[in-house]
Amino acid sequence: MGGAIPKPPKDHFNVLYFASASSFTAKEYDVLPAPLPISKLFDALEEKHNGIKDKVLSSCLVTVNLNYVDVPNKDGEDASESDVVIKAGDEVAIIPPVSSG
Amino acid sequence: MDPSLTEISEKGCFVALTYDHLHIQDIMDRVRSPQAGAIVLFAGTTRDNFGGKPVKELQYSAYAPLALKTMLSLCKDIMARHGLKGIAMIHRLGTVPIGEESILIAVSAPHRQAAWKAGEEALEDCKKHVEVWKREEFEGEEGVWRANRDGIPGQKINQTDATH
Repeated sequence: MGGAIPKPPKDHFNVLYFASASSFTAKEYDVLPAPLPISKLFDALEEKHNGIKDKVLSSCLVTVNLNYVDVPNKDGEDASESDVVIKAGDEVAIIPPVSSG
Repeated sequence: MDPSLTEISEKGCFVALTYDHLHIQDIMDRVRSPQAGAIVLFAGTTRDNFGGKPVKELQYSAYAPLALKTMLSLCKDIMARHGLKGIAMIHRLGTVPIGEESILIAVSAPHRQAAWKAGEEALEDCKKHVEVWKREEFEGEEGVWRANRDGIPGQKINQTDATH
């Protein structure tokens, strides 16, 4: 719903923003180069949007292709072997605290 | 709009997102069953204040494919646990003026006790998990994205904080 997000170019993936994440970035999505370990995602977004880690991402969850994934580096832990790697064409989304109803 | 992107219907469960007004009769008819002795309907309506502060209108947005997936999953779970005959959940998106319905949930069951309980659980699960976001627009100041950890103020994001 809303504007359709174009497919990412070859060797890239889309990161979708909603609610506070969309307000902060003033965007509906970003395009990032793949592959990228999920533990590096927040740093990659911080490079594009200064301050987003503290102000937004710290309270957000992350999905890859509509499934929730752990972000190992979120609380300063080291990336483990279970670190998901984001592949080209994946749909990643930043999920702020929900408020339906 | 392609209905396949905005609703899912599966074995007694119906979930949907829409930019239109919500219709109580339609959602009740989705769960009507000759085996049911009770239909419980919940209508969530938009309130004109947050903690006494006047709210002008509400804006809802969603990650539609994920919100529908989550709605279906929690409805199927509630249906199984309470032995329901049907469950239907529809959420309105876009601008919802004050006093109008933003969500409708209908459940049907052979007896009323299960229907009451299931209806309440369906709403609580929805508010906790479904990927829909509410922005309260105030008179003469910036809107606030609300979070459903009820009672605590939402996260205020100033556009000028952003680097783009």
